[in-house]
Amino acid sequence: MSLRKILRYGSLAVIVLGTTWLLRPPPEERHADAGKAAKGTREDARFVLKIAPGSSYLPGTQPFGLDLTLHGLSDVVADFEQRYPDTKIEIINVPGVREYLVTQLSSGQAPDIINVNVEDVWTDVQKGWYVPLDQFLEAPNPFVVEQGDPSLPGSKEWWDMFTYQGISRGKAAPDNLNYCLTYDMIETGIYYNRTLFKTWGVEPPQTWEEFLAILQRAKQEGKIPLLMNLSNFNDWCTDLFFDQLYYDLLPGIDLIQDPVREQYLQGYLDWDEIAFLFRKGFFHADDVRYREVWRLMHDLKQYTNRDMMGTDLLREFVTGNAAMLWSVSAIGFRLQADRDLGFEWGVFYLPRFTKQTTPYASSVDMCVIGGSGTQLEITCSAIGDTDPNLSMAERMEKSERLQRAVAFLQFLCLPENYARIVNEYPCMLPNIKGVAALPVLKPFEEILARRYTTTKWVYTFDLRFGEIQSRMLGLFLADGVSEDEYLRWEEDNIRAATENLLRRKSVDMDKLEHIWEGKAAIRATYRDLPPEPGRDAR
Amino acid sequence: MNWRLRSTFTCYTIVLPSLVLLFTFVYLPVVWAFSKSLYEFEVGSPARFVGLSNYTEYLFSDPTCWPSLLNMLLLTLFAVVVRLTFPLVVARLIYALPSERGRHFYRILFLIPIVVPGVAVQLIWMGLIYGDRGLLNELLRLVGLGGWAAGWLSEPHTALAAVAMVGFPFIGGFEVLVYYAGFASIPTSVNEAALLEGCVGVRKFLLIDIPMVLSQVKLILILTIIGGVQSFQNVFILTRGQPGFVTNVPGLWMYLNAFSFQRMGYACAIGVLLFLVILVLTVINLKYFKSAEQLQGKAS
Repeated sequence: MSLRKILRYGSLAVIVLGTTWLLRPPPEERHADAGKAAKGTREDARFVLKIAPGSSYLPGTQPFGLDLTLHGLSDVVADFEQRYPDTKIEIINVPGVREYLVTQLSSGQAPDIINVNVEDVWTDVQKGWYVPLDQFLEAPNPFVVEQGDPSLPGSKEWWDMFTYQGISRGKAAPDNLNYCLTYDMIETGIYYNRTLFKTWGVEPPQTWEEFLAILQRAKQEGKIPLLMNLSNFNDWCTDLFFDQLYYDLLPGIDLIQDPVREQYLQGYLDWDEIAFLFRKGFFHADDVRYREVWRLMHDLKQYTNRDMMGTDLLREFVTGNAAMLWSVSAIGFRLQADRDLGFEWGVFYLPRFTKQTTPYASSVDMCVIGGSGTQLEITCSAIGDTDPNLSMAERMEKSERLQRAVAFLQFLCLPENYARIVNEYPCMLPNIKGVAALPVLKPFEEILARRYTTTKWVYTFDLRFGEIQSRMLGLFLADGVSEDEYLRWEEDNIRAATENLLRRKSVDMDKLEHIWEGKAAIRATYRDLPPEPGRDAR
Repeated sequence: MNWRLRSTFTCYTIVLPSLVLLFTFVYLPVVWAFSKSLYEFEVGSPARFVGLSNYTEYLFSDPTCWPSLLNMLLLTLFAVVVRLTFPLVVARLIYALPSERGRHFYRILFLIPIVVPGVAVQLIWMGLIYGDRGLLNELLRLVGLGGWAAGWLSEPHTALAAVAMVGFPFIGGFEVLVYYAGFASIPTSVNEAALLEGCVGVRKFLLIDIPMVLSQVKLILILTIIGGVQSFQNVFILTRGQPGFVTNVPGLWMYLNAFSFQRMGYACAIGVLLFLVILVLTVINLKYFKSAEQLQGKAS
């Protein structure tokens, strides 16, 4: 062999070996794989369940800034598999997009247990894609029962194990069935640069006016006063502002007190109520409160980052370019772990509107708009061992696979297992009694103690409604469309969504009309209610 | 069975699997889409026959329809103009290089970027160039024009132009190669005749070269029109049609209706309408836009 060939093949071999060495798995993974191999293989198992827990607990993930590779969930899975040797749990990562959900669920290929926002689930419950969990939640958790202490939460009802009862039970779908296990909690707050606040001699605000004054000060100082993106405006801001302006009206417009959810949600306006109120003239361009929601939001926009879609909010905050950042509790640990952060930070919640902000202010504290974080649903894949022609109830009764999936969820809720997963790092707030929140999340625990929002607009109607509202709000806030034109879009959008809702779901409008009439005396005490279409303005 | 019949049978047998696959994965979905466009159809729910109402809703009730079609038209027109000029000029310049080694080098140079996936290109433009701290804004700040810095993709008056400008300077390797092949196939006698007649430089480019590569121009034109009408991935990645519907195109609305809103019948109707638009434009192109061969045939 010539020297030239030796050099050519030799260098190729070096490249191949070098690449192989570079791509080798990290030590933990190699160790974990070895452990798994010792416990048996997929082929041995009678039940192979797939769980897509979302990104927060995905084993192998390295949370930003922490010298830690997540393994809590895989450890608990290993314990479960040891207890049930005929079961293999596969933890998978799936795209968090609706396109994935629709295609996988309709083809019966979705993971057995999946983390999906329950409001997305509500849209599809009539299709039999998700399994209602009520009968299991209302029964004891067998893993608690076997501990032999009847005073333990969960020994009578699995439900009792959850800390945030209102939010957890409030996730029942409009058919009054609960498809969602609210595994943990997430909340939003305003992260602020405490060092800057000290320099300026200001404290976290108590009213909206104080808040505006700080925003103005920050702007004068050349800082971005408040970092937020379009999604924050469309989702959080809309609900908070709406609640601030309509809370006072609830006794006269909250028509249905849901027997299951009312005690927890206290006046929540469901989609059927929103649709009915729209037909009564609410949420039109001439509903002054509704107009006020968007006007106030437009006022706030002048203090936020100019580009609502392309700005890296966290980067702007940590580099000290901004005074405040409105974000979720799950980034607190990143700030805490950032050793190069050159300032102190704190968290406060948005302060309430006053009559000075708007004459329609209810003058109550801002409500909760966060709530459920990881929301675990059992999909139709878990009843895939039964005849699809049977009813859901029959399939649930016959499915052994479902029993095992439910057992796994019950096992995940045991405090000792739960703490290993949720408190592996301070990302999400615990929702199981006996497991305390980690210190960095404490401010959000206080926020979560507030009452729940009046409604969640982005989840009220169908997804088309949400998409159009988000787009047009973005355009309105960027001054691409006037307030009147925006409100015309909004009105058309709600009208189309209402018609679609009434066509698809059997809403008893006569019943709502009857209750509406019964509350006429209460409404007579309110001022500036919108004129009812087809009637003289009041 | 005689030899000729057996040979024919063998040929058809060999072609059959391809035909089956073509029919299953290309023609059948098209027929299915036509059929479903007449239904209100949501994945996982029973379909309901609604006749042409999906079509009438899109054309006459959907406020996104006409602005989206206008966006599509503008983006396609822009793409046609830039793909018919910039690569053509570059291909001609390469063809004019005296050494074959130099021509080879530049062909390769312009062809290499073709291996970069379109998605990566869009993401690079979105983050590194148009981003708040991207190249464009930072350059403006550097020269003291920080006030002009903008959210190029998120502001209503810049978003559509920003989408159109992705890919600047619009010298696609594929187009350059196609045009170059056209220039290379011009007979030497034509070039010599032009030289004898004193037709050189820009004059030759306009009067001799371009007419001689009309077949290639026609191909690029058809492909650009079809791509412009069908494609939405660039808008999907860069802006998702936002802000508002300022950069929305029908293809994106079709996709969102199908997979986000689960209005499959409606999405199929939009798809059928796009198919008709492409069909009409392609027929017009084939009928009225003459290739070099056709022009030569006419002349002789």
